[in-house]
Amino acid sequence: MKTQAKTLSRRGFLQASAAVAATAAGVPALKGHLATAHAAGAAPQAPVTSHYTVCDMCFNRCGMIARVQNGRVVKLDPNPKFLKSRGMLCARGNAAVDHLYDPNRLKTPLLRKGARGEGKWQQLTWEQALDHAAEQFTRIAEKYTRCGVMFSPGSDMQSQFLIRFAEVFGSYNVTSHETLCLLSKNRAYLDTFGETPYADVLYSKYIIISGANPLEAIITPDTIDLMEARKNGCKIVVLDPRYTKTAALADEWYAIRPGTDMAFFLALTNVITEERLYDPAFAEKMLFGLDEYAAHVRQYTPEWAAGECGIPAEDIRRIAREIAAAAPAAMIYPGRRSSDYEDSTQIRRSMAIANALLSNWDRPGGILASREVGVRAPYFDVPWYDDNPDDRIDHGMAPGLIHHEGSFKLMRDAIIKEEPYPIRGWFTFKTNFMQTAANRNKTLEMLKHLDFVVNADIVMSDTAWYSDLVLPSPSFLERNDPVSALQGSSACACAVWRDAVVPAMHECRDMLWICTELSKRLGFPESFDFTLDEYRKLQLESIPEAFEAIKADGVYYNPSKVYGIYFDSPLKTQAKKIELFNQRYAHEGLDPMPVYKAPRRKEGAFRLVVGRTAFFTHSNTNNALLIQFKDENTLWMHPRSAARQGLVDGEMVEVASAAGTVTLALRLFEGMEEETVYMATGFGALSPELPLVHNRGASIAEVLEDHADFISGNMAMHETLVTVTRRVG
Amino acid sequence: MKKYAMVIDSSMCIDCKACMASCKVQNNVPRGYWRNWIKHTIPDFSQGSQTRTHFQPGGCMQCDNPTCVQACPSGATYKDTQNGIVRVNEALCIGCGNCITACPYDARFRHPDRRVPDKCDFCFSSGRLERGLLPACVDTCPTKARVFGDLNDPDSDASRLLREKPSVRVLARGGIDTKPNMYYVAATAPTDWVGEVEFPGAFTTMATLVNPVVKVAVGLSALGVAVMWAKQIFSPDREESEHESSAPGKD
Repeated sequence: MKTQAKTLSRRGFLQASAAVAATAAGVPALKGHLATAHAAGAAPQAPVTSHYTVCDMCFNRCGMIARVQNGRVVKLDPNPKFLKSRGMLCARGNAAVDHLYDPNRLKTPLLRKGARGEGKWQQLTWEQALDHAAEQFTRIAEKYTRCGVMFSPGSDMQSQFLIRFAEVFGSYNVTSHETLCLLSKNRAYLDTFGETPYADVLYSKYIIISGANPLEAIITPDTIDLMEARKNGCKIVVLDPRYTKTAALADEWYAIRPGTDMAFFLALTNVITEERLYDPAFAEKMLFGLDEYAAHVRQYTPEWAAGECGIPAEDIRRIAREIAAAAPAAMIYPGRRSSDYEDSTQIRRSMAIANALLSNWDRPGGILASREVGVRAPYFDVPWYDDNPDDRIDHGMAPGLIHHEGSFKLMRDAIIKEEPYPIRGWFTFKTNFMQTAANRNKTLEMLKHLDFVVNADIVMSDTAWYSDLVLPSPSFLERNDPVSALQGSSACACAVWRDAVVPAMHECRDMLWICTELSKRLGFPESFDFTLDEYRKLQLESIPEAFEAIKADGVYYNPSKVYGIYFDSPLKTQAKKIELFNQRYAHEGLDPMPVYKAPRRKEGAFRLVVGRTAFFTHSNTNNALLIQFKDENTLWMHPRSAARQGLVDGEMVEVASAAGTVTLALRLFEGMEEETVYMATGFGALSPELPLVHNRGASIAEVLEDHADFISGNMAMHETLVTVTRRVG
Repeated sequence: MKKYAMVIDSSMCIDCKACMASCKVQNNVPRGYWRNWIKHTIPDFSQGSQTRTHFQPGGCMQCDNPTCVQACPSGATYKDTQNGIVRVNEALCIGCGNCITACPYDARFRHPDRRVPDKCDFCFSSGRLERGLLPACVDTCPTKARVFGDLNDPDSDASRLLREKPSVRVLARGGIDTKPNMYYVAATAPTDWVGEVEFPGAFTTMATLVNPVVKVAVGLSALGVAVMWAKQIFSPDREESEHESSAPGKD
């Protein structure tokens, strides 16, 4: 009865009755009354204020406007003046409201009490937490030198403070998220063009996408530009063992056998060189080693490639002729996450060389050099510590290590071996190697060699769950951040910063504050003796006009040159030209030109590939809104392959590799190459403080074997061969 | 007077779900429910390298001949003559659920807490239009596949797109043309999800009577009210379970 009475009042019974009564008075009266009734109910609402900020749900830094009402962020909208993100905001950006108000946010500093991973914590005050951290860092530095602490800053606008802190503290052992991401691609382009380029997707007329999925792994502005270019008649060819959304919207999709992309590009360049489809003037001026390269790829015919990659020779030949005809407004999309194979740098170099033969460098619709933004990195003194070892722990373990990134995979091996020297401390900030790096068991083993692990993040990630000290960070909507320079291909070269949209909740403190406080305790307070405002002024010293622009529009654009940046100046390679033949590689005993090596195969085993959806970033899956799109990952497999294994759709399967075994549901999907299985990233979390993904689905980190790219040391996440069997019991 | 409409270039949709997420935040749509959606065709892999998928964003079609309004016994669901939006006056709603089944587009659901129908209103009730903002799904869309505007204004984006490109509509099955104000440029596929208009038994004779006086009088007759209340309180949430199963879940 009580419920009924409540329902009655909620339905506004009296208003309804009044409407009935009004029928007696005739139609005009009723109409008038209904109009009033419909108009009523708009209670006066508190005003909504709008604030510019920059998204942090991935690394793109799209411009957003936060709508705040009664001190709460109620909605996030795109900043229409933000050219890099083309005035859009993806599902993740929209879900930042749930990121901010996540009930599982870290609220106070926590000190581990039980065993690691046991989940017994003691709340600390910030004073206690910082004193403890400083004491531990001092102890490790004294006993194992300052390089005995490893620093892992994630992709955050405040990461530069932790990097500065690490350098002043005296450790060379800094490794970031990029070591699991795009280092091999960067290495390949650095060693070919002397630059890591941006793709001018918007003006391209023909794009081959291989080892990338831009319509799901949203990259601004490339993703949006790809659809715009397509509307303008650009042809898109996708090579992917999985039918991704990019494949679904492409003109042509080939379910290439995994790991054979280089065979395709060697054959493509074979056709271009044999048939002389390149621009001779550009080749004369810009290419180094064309004759050697043409001779090298003579063996790699389309007929040969067809046998390796499964794409018919006539299609390879046709695609080569088509893209050469569209050049220079044509490209092999460089991609981003290239942490695929042990040979990834050379695979990406084969793509870079194909770009060079399309003469698309520094030209509309091709691949572009970085533009001038004008944001400076404020200077600081890096002290010298006599007892430190000569170099980073992973120095010399890969010939093309990118010095300031290193290799997490190689560092982890070195820490476990305790060679060439021991590392005993780890400071991680907003990055979650426990869930994103291949071979979680090895990361757990590495932790046994570490005395002190401190993690700063906004939630209890798996990495935080296994840490000794956990520091609560504010979300990106709750803090003031330094200036960040962004490139948006031909769209813009811009500068942005963040001002807090709402005050920091709980006891969260940002990385600048943490570094400042720790620097006082560790005896180098002069390295952090600035406020954020002072820091921003230093960053923008050469472009003072940026201050007003960012305040007015949330973004500053530098009107710097877009195309022809290198028109009059030599490239930053040894040959000062685009190196098809890499002289340094030849000198170091590496293949100076990409040499195809067939991927490993094993009878009855599948190659496991990983990837993501448009609505999650890496392991940031514990989001109340986004989880409604996909609450568990599954293993994708071709129905014919499943039939051979006697497996049926939806059943639970065990996926076993040399690194580990996971259990998840099988999903049969015809859009899979038959030797390949696929899993999405971000599930099967160990941390119970991530309740939406804890023990749901399976973690890629648990089953992926830890291989690394031979040249860059970049993790190689597509080198795992797995068996798939019905779960027993 | 305005006539708001949405024109969708579905060939630009990449199925990123931004529109769905944006709508949920703006309108406080409860967990597991959606005011808008993206449907897709089933790829035919026998096409080999030519295999494609077409994505189709959707939501309430804001029909000019809204069967939900015809099915509503209390006048709670109505076509706003000021802007053409089909709106719900929750104060008048008796929660019978007839409008939900009468919608052939499955665009309405029963709000699990408020027990009233919920659906897209072009973000009218959230105040976006009043503040000069586009509906949340349109504003956020990465590729601007969703275009919104006033068809009575020839210069609106929607009017312009309709003039420039051939467009089609998704029509209900069973012969009732609801005259939807959601237009698709080029293609509406898939259409297998569109249903028939289902008027409740007691209303079949009333379906042709569009005079609101008669409808309100009949709908709120003592017997009618009692029956509808009983239905509202005791009926299982059929549409909820349907929404759960059609909602994206495991991949």
